[in-house]
Amino acid sequence: MKLATIVLLALVVWPLVGDPRNDAFPLSTYPMFGEPRRTTLTMDYALGETASGERRTLSPQLAGTGEVLQAYALFERAVHGPREGLQQLCGEIAARVANDPAYRDVVSVRIVTGTHDAVDYLVRHQVGVEHDRLRCLVLR
Amino acid sequence: MTDLRERLRVLRAAIATFACVYTALRLHELWAIAHLPAAHFEPTGLAWFVMPPVVVMAIACATVVLLAAFAAGWRARVVGPLAALGFALVFSYRSAWGQIFHTENLVALHLIALAIASWIDDPKGAVRLLALLTVATYVLAGIAKLRLAGLAWMDSVDGAQLRNQIAVDNLRKALLGGGTAPLATVLLDHPAAFGPLSIATLVLELGAPIALLGGRYAVAWVTASWAFHLGILLVMWIVFPYPLLGFAYLPLLPVERGIAWIRCRYRNDLPS
Repeated sequence: MKLATIVLLALVVWPLVGDPRNDAFPLSTYPMFGEPRRTTLTMDYALGETASGERRTLSPQLAGTGEVLQAYALFERAVHGPREGLQQLCGEIAARVANDPAYRDVVSVRIVTGTHDAVDYLVRHQVGVEHDRLRCLVLR
Repeated sequence: MTDLRERLRVLRAAIATFACVYTALRLHELWAIAHLPAAHFEPTGLAWFVMPPVVVMAIACATVVLLAAFAAGWRARVVGPLAALGFALVFSYRSAWGQIFHTENLVALHLIALAIASWIDDPKGAVRLLALLTVATYVLAGIAKLRLAGLAWMDSVDGAQLRNQIAVDNLRKALLGGGTAPLATVLLDHPAAFGPLSIATLVLELGAPIALLGGRYAVAWVTASWAFHLGILLVMWIVFPYPLLGFAYLPLLPVERGIAWIRCRYRNDLPS
């Protein structure tokens, strides 16, 4: 068991040799929350818009995943990848919104890049700047 | 030695049961992931290529069955390694779509250690390995913070590094429709709390080896670590079920005594 212990522990600490950003599974550098951050965040995401122009956040399930972090990666790739990928994602979200009674007031889906100050947004409810990457109509 | 043999048996049953239920509860999510566009796939761990959704589900379901058998101790020498391999493969696949999760690493490592233990008759060494793995993951997380952010993590004046992490993580969730953590906005409105919290985080992670001393030291560290994960849940809405439900800490505690107490109590309650 001593040899097995040494080998397994050596494997577990092996990621320390490399860049801590080079994460993997199950041998990880555990970099979560370690990277220095500012409170300003620019990211890509989808929004719903009502007929009166009201802004609605959409659940990650509408992007095809139940995980927020996977939805984050999905939008980032779609926005910065080929245009067809973005159109496909926007269309899929609009189709799911059309079938979801919780979003019956949403008439269009906007995929945007937004820049917000996290503390202002969460504590003071101040929405930053958002610009459209693509807009799709919700057809019912 | 008898106690340690019993402890190892309890650990195998508990950890494999957790892994079995956890995998079963993730089946619906794995099904959704298996349908993501192949262009989004990024190999990690044992997940080297995209598989058809049916294959992903077949492996996941087989893993659930293998883990149940391993928990029951059925043909542990064969089933144990297969169950550990299946778990590592299924959750490598889950992490291969642009976001590496850190909720299953220790479960996978513990299952690998238990699989090894089924081949080597050394309960003391096996329990020690499981305990070392728990401690190592926390120490690595502490080292990563120091490597990535350096002394910013120990900024006792305002704890800006921790505050910014919590703020940005909650903002990301809010924008993606995941909702914010219940205490996030309250805490963000009181920035003075972040200095002590960031120091406490590092002390807890880098001080994890103290739990290896056992006894009160282990209980104290386990309690502090559990509270730390509860705090993460309340301010970041991130669930680490393995430590929150206590399974991650079992190798550090004399779990066999608890089982013996339950057995004794049960026997005493039996009608004579």
